[in-house]
Amino acid sequence: MKNQNTLLPGGEEALETRFGLRVAVHLNDAAGQLPHDLSERLKSAREQALQRAKLVRSAQIATSPKLVTRGSVAALALGGGGPRSDWWIKFASFVPVLALIGGFALISDVHTNAQIKAAAEIDAALLADDAPLAAYSDPGFVEFHKVPRD
Amino acid sequence: MASEKELSDFLKNVEKRAFKRALYAVRDHEAALDIVQDAMIRLAEKYADRPAAELPLVFQRILSNATMDWFRRQKVRGALMKNFSDYEVAGEDGDFDILETLESQDGSTATESASDSVSRAQIMLAIESQVEQLPGRQREAFLLRYWEELDVAETAAAMGCSEGSVKTHCSRAVHALAKALKAKGITL
Repeated sequence: MKNQNTLLPGGEEALETRFGLRVAVHLNDAAGQLPHDLSERLKSAREQALQRAKLVRSAQIATSPKLVTRGSVAALALGGGGPRSDWWIKFASFVPVLALIGGFALISDVHTNAQIKAAAEIDAALLADDAPLAAYSDPGFVEFHKVPRD
Repeated sequence: MASEKELSDFLKNVEKRAFKRALYAVRDHEAALDIVQDAMIRLAEKYADRPAAELPLVFQRILSNATMDWFRRQKVRGALMKNFSDYEVAGEDGDFDILETLESQDGSTATESASDSVSRAQIMLAIESQVEQLPGRQREAFLLRYWEELDVAETAAAMGCSEGSVKTHCSRAVHALAKALKAKGITL
């Protein structure tokens, strides 16, 4: 048999809400009566979570002054603190490494060029000079001339 | 950004309900405790910098995800299917009217109060048992809407579904609960 009660439009929803809220009252009562050991364990879990939050916050505070000192110019220029400035700071931290690698490459290149230049000067001096007559009586010198050159 | 006290107060306020919600889903005290602890820590580590007003919604989302993660880890496919079978119809309501379960406290003298015949503790247990037996999505929608007092839009955001789905889940849950409680002679 269909219920005799007639509901206004939206009345069903209001009834559902009332019913839901009344169930919620009982659920609240049930939640409030948790055994002591469970309450204590929840409290312990909460304290652990708060401890983590404290650590995260202190870590953020510890890192933020570094950001200011390392990237103060960039932070000011970019409005500071945003993800873009973080990206610039990360990029900037690689600059010294890149400069070091570039410096090593430059030193190596200069050193190699200096060695080549010195060898060329010695070769030029040897080729330009006349060998003394006594040199031709030296078996080592004769042997040196017999060795094929690249 | 929520202050330390605001975060503490929020967690203190929500922890028992969160535990119960997890318990209704996983039906295991230890697992429910783990889930709540996991959700609290995730909130504290990753979202503690959010404004205090955003914490409830974020936490409900985290709790739901932590519960889902638990199911995934456990790989209890049977339980998963049972708890998340929100597409199944819980049974025909027929001519059942929710009003019948509410009338006793609306001034009607025709029926006696439930607390006259059944103790309050028994009513609580019966309600909890019925809530536990709801399909997972219906239970989640019902608890978020009426217990956590989120509005439809917030519930939809926390559940990752449309507002229409939330309304449908809630309505089905209310009717299923009302019908089951009425069958037990409990009126609210």
